[in-house]
Amino acid sequence: MVPTILLVGLLVLAIVLTWLPYVGLAKPPAGKRQVEVWSWTNAADALSGVSEEFEAEHPDLDIYINKNGSNLQTRLLLALSAGSGIPDVSQLQEREAAKYTRTGRLTDLTDWASPYREQFVPAFWDSCVYEGRMYALPWDVGPCAVYYKRWIFEEYGLDPWTIETWDDFVAMGVELKERSGGKVRMLPLSEANLIEMLQILMQQNGGNVFDVQGRIVLDSPQNRQVLALMRQMLDTGINADLTPYSPEWEASYQTDNVACYPNAVWAVAALKQAAGDTAGKWGVFPMPAFEKGGIRTSNLGGSVLIIPRESEVAEEAWSFIEFANCTVEGQIEQFREQGLFPALITAYDHPYFDEKDPFFADQAVNKVFAQDFEKLPTMTRTADWNEAQAYLGRSLTRWAETRQDNGAYLRGVAEALGRKVVREVVPYEELAAQREGTDESGPDDE
Amino acid sequence: MMSDAAAQSTPAKKPGSTGSLREQMWRYRHFYLFISPFFFLFAVFGLYPLLFSLYLSLVQWDGLTSPKWVGLQNFTTLLRDEQFYRAIWNTILIGVYHFPPMFILAFVFAVILNQQWVKLRAFWRAAVFMPAITPMVVIAFVFFILFSTETGLVNYLYTGALGLLGIEAAGVPWLQNGTWAKITVSILLVWRWTGYNMVIMLAGMQGIPGDMYEAATIDGASRWQQMRYLTIPMMKPTFIFITIMSLIGTVYMFDEVFVLTNGGPGDATTNFGLFLFQQSFQDFRFGYASAAAYSVALVVFVMSLVIFRVGKKGE
Repeated sequence: MVPTILLVGLLVLAIVLTWLPYVGLAKPPAGKRQVEVWSWTNAADALSGVSEEFEAEHPDLDIYINKNGSNLQTRLLLALSAGSGIPDVSQLQEREAAKYTRTGRLTDLTDWASPYREQFVPAFWDSCVYEGRMYALPWDVGPCAVYYKRWIFEEYGLDPWTIETWDDFVAMGVELKERSGGKVRMLPLSEANLIEMLQILMQQNGGNVFDVQGRIVLDSPQNRQVLALMRQMLDTGINADLTPYSPEWEASYQTDNVACYPNAVWAVAALKQAAGDTAGKWGVFPMPAFEKGGIRTSNLGGSVLIIPRESEVAEEAWSFIEFANCTVEGQIEQFREQGLFPALITAYDHPYFDEKDPFFADQAVNKVFAQDFEKLPTMTRTADWNEAQAYLGRSLTRWAETRQDNGAYLRGVAEALGRKVVREVVPYEELAAQREGTDESGPDDE
Repeated sequence: MMSDAAAQSTPAKKPGSTGSLREQMWRYRHFYLFISPFFFLFAVFGLYPLLFSLYLSLVQWDGLTSPKWVGLQNFTTLLRDEQFYRAIWNTILIGVYHFPPMFILAFVFAVILNQQWVKLRAFWRAAVFMPAITPMVVIAFVFFILFSTETGLVNYLYTGALGLLGIEAAGVPWLQNGTWAKITVSILLVWRWTGYNMVIMLAGMQGIPGDMYEAATIDGASRWQQMRYLTIPMMKPTFIFITIMSLIGTVYMFDEVFVLTNGGPGDATTNFGLFLFQQSFQDFRFGYASAAAYSVALVVFVMSLVIFRVGKKGE
């Protein structure tokens, strides 16, 4: 008889132990309402930092930051779909926000957020809007600039600050390659992996995959111009064939083979980690423009925060993300502690942006990253953004290897994508005519 | 073998039993009660998803908004989807790369570990089987380290060996190049599933009656002849089973590629299983993914039948 009792006891114990963590998690501290936030990596840590101050101001609220892994998006989808286990706030990639904002499953933030409209980077604000209503709040952004090795340019007597356009950039790359006897390449760019560069340049040049009506506008003058530039970089051989973020790429931070790295602001963390002895010898100059006087920035990455419709504490959740994202102090703290570059334009005037960084030879690099950023053209994402990325990412290597005509390539991808996601494809001629129209009427016409 | 088992499990018909079906069911209600848990669970976790997915294949659904009826549009889109064809082609290539070596290795191991003279047989069998039950994440981590282009042991040995011969060679881009990545995945598959198939083959071999070998020995058949004319023909049902299981396994394989390459570089190792995952859980195209799943399931079913028929031939 004893073994049976023992077995039953163990069974009960096992069941209790299995459920214990859930019981513990579900209960906020006595007398407090809990706001559960899903976020990932250092972004979660940034929110944790802000949440302590917020809780001090709101003693009745308990902010629970659930640091989710990389599959947060899938988990969120399943939770929303099942209607249970839904967080009160969740992080989303900016480029994936459109997939959720159109579903009607998120809290409409329009009334709460509109007072802040003028203070946010318009390109990011636009990504949060669906049919005129706002369903997400911009959080951090990924402004781009060019990281460069001061010692290389000094050695070969070149000044990267004279670069204004991409043409200048390529010309200096050719010069640098010649002066170094072919040893030093201007930038890393691998035929096997061109998608990041394409994204950066496309956004800078106001190119798009989709227009606001959801049609495919891939084969546009802007995008052809981007491809022409990329082909020039490959043809002149100013590129080093390095796969982004591969061990070889990281090793190149310390060598003399690559002179500069056009990349987003968040790349600085990995750079500092891998730079070794070269710390203190780096610099950052603004992105070259497509035309003289054009905007000298672009974006890669960035995220937004959403509140699911089912949240029972939506108002409290809003007051937390308002505290974190709509105040200069909140955004600056997250930037300072975890490197999340603010989407809030008003934060760019904060003294922190004038702080000198010894890693970059005491240059105030954040000012460079903030330059022109409020002028960043909007990318229309739509729910099919991932699909578009997949089509482009896969075919770009073939475009480079077979030296396919830029227009023919873009048209081909546009048509294949159009068949897959069932969207209308706008022909080049129409877009070219549109562009001429906008050039006359001013640049603010999207 | 199959028909024997089936015959045993069919209850013998009672000669005197009369009455309608309902009466009979009532009479045997206790037995039905005992087998009901399976049918209940099957209905909830087997039949329902199957039918729901059939319905999904005819709609557009992102999991969040209400489904939109599109009829056969998902299927027509599928026929023109380059990505889908590439996933299928990758699946075929990975299958062709890994199945023959895995099959031969499993057979060789099974033959060796079926010999009486091998010591510690249980230990060796367990050792060969071990990869099949090791968590995939652990395996992927080890494979990452082994197959790193710059710092991996495999390339270290490869370039080192060539270096001894006086040949200066660059490391193989195991995970960076499309073709090599497929090969790396195939190596992982061979390593992981050889043991599993070996166990099945062992069971098959042990099912061959020992007196047949005795008779063959008395008739003067050599070891080789015994293998050629006795073991291999008798193993045919096992071979068919393994081939069909591997076919299904390759098509729906997911965790190996998901953890090791995530389908990359580009989409070089995106097989059908991963394609389904991407379409459904990354792009929220559940209807489309269901249509793809149903189409491929149909093909797999037909292919299994063909393998079965071809295998049965000459028996």
